[in-house]
Amino acid sequence: MRFSPSLAYGVLGSLALMTSGHSLADGRVVDKVYHPYVQALERSVEYRYFYQRQADHPDNNTMGQKLGYGFSVAERAALEIYLIADRVSPEDYKLSGYELELRWMLTEQGQYSADWGLLFELERQNNQDNFEFTTGLLMEKEFGPTSLTLNALAVYEWGKTIETEWEGEFRAQYRYRLLPAVQPAIELYVGENYKGAGPSLMGVHKFDKQKQLKWELAVIMAIDNDTVDRTLRFALEYEF
Amino acid sequence: MSLALPVLAEPALFELQIKDHLFHPSVLYVPAGEKIKLQVLNQDPSPEEFESFSLNREKVILGNGKATLFIGPLQPGRYHFFGEYNPDSAQGVLIALPEAQWQQRRADNAN
Repeated sequence: MRFSPSLAYGVLGSLALMTSGHSLADGRVVDKVYHPYVQALERSVEYRYFYQRQADHPDNNTMGQKLGYGFSVAERAALEIYLIADRVSPEDYKLSGYELELRWMLTEQGQYSADWGLLFELERQNNQDNFEFTTGLLMEKEFGPTSLTLNALAVYEWGKTIETEWEGEFRAQYRYRLLPAVQPAIELYVGENYKGAGPSLMGVHKFDKQKQLKWELAVIMAIDNDTVDRTLRFALEYEF
Repeated sequence: MSLALPVLAEPALFELQIKDHLFHPSVLYVPAGEKIKLQVLNQDPSPEEFESFSLNREKVILGNGKATLFIGPLQPGRYHFFGEYNPDSAQGVLIALPEAQWQQRRADNAN
């Protein structure tokens, strides 16, 4: 089947429109903005952290961590397995679930006017028999020394303690490739009961041959009254 | 911001070889201002990764394999690239020439 950029733009727009729904907040919106690229022979361990703060908000003091191991399974496909730990007030911090993720690179970088990929994630929450399946399009486009990355995702949730529903999520990142170690960006997140944007900084440090450490730090601020005021996002990924 | 559909014209093809952990040629001239297709042939039995921060490209080429990269349109200038698996030896530079210099170079090579 030949890849069709016009079809991909249509799906991207449709998924983005799904973010306007209203229902109970039971997932995290601020997370990694995925690039649509996969490297053959890639292996990595990854740590992600987020923390939310607003004294009078129900999501105040929420903290989440993810620890992942990823590896390519084909020249254009990579799998990653995560352990997820969360603290949602007033509950204690706990290992809350695990997740399997597949990234699929659809087009070669630079082949078309934008680069495209697909994301599939299946998450299971421990002890609650709740599940979350996420799928969607990943897009990146170069503008000289800058790159625009968009993720338009559809999320299906079901289980014993959550309402069965479809949700939409949209993530965007506009990055200036200043230096390998220092790349400033701005990020935007729109999802269920969440609309936020803010600055981020990321980079990569090479150690030896293919061993390198990628890092990301972002402070996302609410852009409406329903969203928790401040979210801190941090990620480290060691590739080897 | 332009999110136009792809141009159907096939980009000009250039070739780069990897042998004994070296790029051949180590200096590659290409035209500025147009997209190019770069085919990288790895003649070594071990994998190599073409990497360039200034070109914003990284691509693993399996041992005795080949890979295709789409690059540009580039501004005139020099763009350093290296082999991530053998960075001490696998080094190269891609030089994007303005239209007049590129045509002159083609004419010189034809003579």
